[in-house]
Amino acid sequence: MNISIVPALKVLRPAAMLVIVILVGLVLGYWANATFVPGNSPEQPIAFSHKIHAGDNEVPCLYCHTQARRSPSAGVPAVSKCVGCHLEVATEKPQIRLLMSYWENREPIPWIKVHDLPDFVHFTHKRHVLANIECQTCHGPVETMDRITVSSRAVNGSAQVGHPWKMGLCLSCHRENEVVNGIDCLTCHK
Amino acid sequence: MPNIDRREFLKLVGAGGVSVGAGFMLREANKDPREYLIPHVLAPEDFSSGLDTFYNSVCSMCPAGCGISVRTREGRAKKIEGNPAHPVSQGRLCTLGQAGLQALYNPDRLTAPMRRTGEGESASFEEITWEQGLKQVGDRLDLLRAARRGNRVAFLTQGVRGHLAQLFESFMRQLGSPRLLHYDFDHPHTLYAANQQFFGESRLPYYDLANTRLLLSFGADYLNNWISPVHHSLGFGESRQGRADVRGRFVQIEPRMSISGAAADEWIPAKPGTEGILALGLAHHIVAEGNYSGADLGAWTNALADYTPDAVAEQTGVPVNTITRLADSFVDTTPSLAIGGGAAGNHSNGVDTLVAVNALNYLVGNIGQEGGLVLNPEPAGPAVQQHRASYSAMVELAEAARQGEIDILIISGTNPVFTLPPAAEFAEALAQIPLVVSLSSFLDETTALADVILPSHTYLESWGDDFPEPGVGFSVGAVSQPVVSPLYNTRGTGDIILDLARRMGSSSVMPWQNMEEFLKYGWRRIYQRGDSQTLAQGFDAFWTSVLKAGAWGETTNGSTAFTLNPDVIAGIGVAPPEFSGSEEDYPFILHPYLSPNFHDGRGANLPWMQELPDPMTSVVYGSWVEVNPVTAEEMGLSEGDLVDIQSPHGQLRVPVFVYPAIMPNVIAIPIGQGHGEYGRYAKGRGVNPIEILSPLLEPITGNLASSATRVNLTPTGGRVKLVKTGGVSRDLGRDIVQHTSLGVEVSSAADNSIPITEVTT
Amino acid sequence: MSLFSRFMDGWRKYRKPGYYDEFDYHWTMTIDLDKCTGCEACVTACQAENNIPVVGEDEMAKGREMQWIRIERYWEGEYPNAKLSFIPMMCQHCDAAPCETVCPVGATYHNQDGLNAQIYNRCIGTRACAVYCPYEVRYFNYYDHEWDSPLEQQLNPDVTVRGKGVMEKCTFCIQRIRQAKDVAKDDDRRRVQDGEMQPACVQTCPTKALVFGDRKDHESQVYKSMNDPRNYRVLDELNTDSSVFYLKKVDA
Repeated sequence: MNISIVPALKVLRPAAMLVIVILVGLVLGYWANATFVPGNSPEQPIAFSHKIHAGDNEVPCLYCHTQARRSPSAGVPAVSKCVGCHLEVATEKPQIRLLMSYWENREPIPWIKVHDLPDFVHFTHKRHVLANIECQTCHGPVETMDRITVSSRAVNGSAQVGHPWKMGLCLSCHRENEVVNGIDCLTCHK
Repeated sequence: MPNIDRREFLKLVGAGGVSVGAGFMLREANKDPREYLIPHVLAPEDFSSGLDTFYNSVCSMCPAGCGISVRTREGRAKKIEGNPAHPVSQGRLCTLGQAGLQALYNPDRLTAPMRRTGEGESASFEEITWEQGLKQVGDRLDLLRAARRGNRVAFLTQGVRGHLAQLFESFMRQLGSPRLLHYDFDHPHTLYAANQQFFGESRLPYYDLANTRLLLSFGADYLNNWISPVHHSLGFGESRQGRADVRGRFVQIEPRMSISGAAADEWIPAKPGTEGILALGLAHHIVAEGNYSGADLGAWTNALADYTPDAVAEQTGVPVNTITRLADSFVDTTPSLAIGGGAAGNHSNGVDTLVAVNALNYLVGNIGQEGGLVLNPEPAGPAVQQHRASYSAMVELAEAARQGEIDILIISGTNPVFTLPPAAEFAEALAQIPLVVSLSSFLDETTALADVILPSHTYLESWGDDFPEPGVGFSVGAVSQPVVSPLYNTRGTGDIILDLARRMGSSSVMPWQNMEEFLKYGWRRIYQRGDSQTLAQGFDAFWTSVLKAGAWGETTNGSTAFTLNPDVIAGIGVAPPEFSGSEEDYPFILHPYLSPNFHDGRGANLPWMQELPDPMTSVVYGSWVEVNPVTAEEMGLSEGDLVDIQSPHGQLRVPVFVYPAIMPNVIAIPIGQGHGEYGRYAKGRGVNPIEILSPLLEPITGNLASSATRVNLTPTGGRVKLVKTGGVSRDLGRDIVQHTSLGVEVSSAADNSIPITEVTT
Repeated sequence: MSLFSRFMDGWRKYRKPGYYDEFDYHWTMTIDLDKCTGCEACVTACQAENNIPVVGEDEMAKGREMQWIRIERYWEGEYPNAKLSFIPMMCQHCDAAPCETVCPVGATYHNQDGLNAQIYNRCIGTRACAVYCPYEVRYFNYYDHEWDSPLEQQLNPDVTVRGKGVMEKCTFCIQRIRQAKDVAKDDDRRRVQDGEMQPACVQTCPTKALVFGDRKDHESQVYKSMNDPRNYRVLDELNTDSSVFYLKKVDA
């Protein structure tokens, strides 16, 4: 038998080239978006660095996110809170000047939300903070991040960059810690 | 390398470029939409994200004055609940009160001051600044005042109490104008007048439903729209099943079964307008049976001589044995209570009817008794004169306007173009007034005819206070505080009036910068009524505590001692009701009633209220006319058939609803729909029965006899589908609502047309 | 063991109230029909608390109303002896709920508090549960409902806004139950106390006809109320073992 696909390929070659170019193009475009416009780590209006605050200067998380221990939402500090320190600290840095321009104009800073749960999930910070669960369990090593990105070390103790925020993360932790009725759907969905 | 010609190369480069772009966009499209975390610049003291903050205030959806507690989150109002500390509502709230949020967040609110431009058909409103609007009105007021022509200013408001009422009064006094009118369609003028005649004070007593054992209600829909429905409901529940050994019995006398009629143990249809005659029939039987032994027995016997059970049965259509049975049980059951109002008061004999009901209470000694009728002390609020405007007062105002006696009319919170019959020609009168100023939050029918609109805050955004009338047997007050910051470029009614007062040079007499300041000034007087402990803590502590609690009360009771003026007895008597239109031409009596959802129409712009099934019929989003099943069958009508309803003063086309509990010669239409303006939810829906009411009056008060219009009913042959949620409204053996006669002894009154049982003690 | 007896064994086990040896809480409501006046304050309170959309006149005409609690009305007799009785009807949170057995994706199930749960993000909209429910208290989102701005500012942040294709129903105000439990935990308390939390309908009822609480607490108001001699359950012959008890209307 002398069957070869070569003649067929020869006929199809222009079409195959086209398909390959399109596929490569799609991948390239997708990769470019993922690399240069990361959804889980957007560029913020002020280049606030958690590394400098929480890492280098060891400011406790709850110093700024004061609501976390008593409210479902951790809250972002009011501009006045930033200004409270930065009237004195690092006043000459360009980003601090940017901050002061917001303050002087009495404008809020439009922070872009990074850690976002779907609207049908009703997570409460308070219960988790009061149970002495470290913020990093879900938020990852925030104190090492100049620009915040979604990561977590809850699953198997290893950081999973990308999309760790799925229901499995909640459930595995609730199971491991034997939370009372902790895997009842109504715990989070209502 | 294979040969690629130029054409193919370009094709590949083009495809490659497009696909890179497509790949980029593919990922972009799969991202969650970007959300923002907007912090405060300076966090308010009472703000914490994710946590509720409750503010106590006062409900203003109807005149009852219930205390409310509003749940807010991140500066937005989320839910209105009753304030448990407020003696009127006690933590409970009615359906209209719950829907107050949709007045605040209504998409059809007026957002800024406006001025009319153009005339007639081409008229429209243009937005102006507050300064422009206030200056236009203020300058005119100042001119009139300076020229001592302030009496050419009229002020028309909804029934307001407390310091806002006082503010309006001072404002008009500065102008030297007597034309301050509090107008509400449903204000019980006849009840006030009857109490003035009988008790010598033009106030409402406290009806102690909670402790009564037998309630006779002559036309008063006390569980729905009458005076203080939430408080009455609390009493009803307590009387029914709140006590261990006694179950209160409720009897409702009215031509069309209302919500209160459905809740009652016995519903007795009496011919419209004869409720007072029936009350006197009971009184006659009580006296004739020797169950009254007061010193003035002789006077009573004389006054009631004509009201023998036989004569009364003839006039009212209620059987003799029902009359005697009711009279006997009214005497035997203590405490008992008779109340009257609603449609029974809205007849040509309204005042006499309600005096007759008071007489019934007097004869069995219910006055001042627990479970009876308790006289209220003087309200603790500021002393304000009586400004209640009846229908005839409104007609006088319209007449004055037509005579050119009014230069400026300020309208606040009331919508007379909708709630007055066309016979009053109020809209035409408005056109004669050079400057009509509306302070409404919505573009209602009246505001649409205004020249300048200075939109006020809703009650959830403004300062105010309230001293509920009737009180609950002791003095109650509450401060209405803003629960959210204003949504739009609107201002509080009080603030607007104070601003206008400044502009007409009255700031020496009315020096307050805003309503809050005026309230604090006024509440100082109430603070000084406090005990030594309160006084020691100072006014600021007192003020904060009132705001926190949402209610203030003092345990001074009204006087229980009551002596009847002997002259009253001789004047007792109820004439047969008069009706507009002859019985031959207009065989039916129109019974318009306040809709449970919309009150007098003010709730029609709330989508929740539009979609709330009417309790009795389950109809939504429309109007209907209730017809007795036998009448409907005789006329060949069934549900959804369009009929023309014609009165001597107008005509309406409306679908039929066959209503099992209405007298055969009575038809009923709910009030509330039929708006020509008032926003997207209300406009162009259903009909307004007020439009065909005849201007027949009760002579003493000038109150509109709104239940005294005769109509005829003509089938048109057309049909519509009545939108309603209920299916078959019969149980059909499914035993869904189960009944019992537990703890109740059934009497053997076999000859009664309506079965009767007595409560065991 | 025969196939039949195995089937019967499974059936009995399955028909046991709930799937738990013991409930943690057992939330229960009683409704005194002798007090209910049909004023519908509960309906609006529920609508405000639970982000229930307004569907509009056309949808209402198709029978697609969304109110989780409704007032049913039953006329008896003819004029002049006509009588009208009201009965509030909402999800009965049956301990042997027909709806739970039928959901192909487990979006509705019984939880350890005796609640019939409806999980919106799991629901795929087969509507089978609505067919199985004898009380007709499940409501389906035929559309993505919208709130005319700024009405959406009233929406309760503690309750999910349901999208198109999702079944919904009364939850006994689960968000309030969760909050009460949260507060109880803070106070180092083991249990939520009687009267500490009420669903929106119970809270607003002007005649106090509705009572809500934990039936396992024998001192609770609801336990006393459900043991009133007048108690009955609607369609009890279906053995749904519902958690809503009605108190009979007294004829007097």
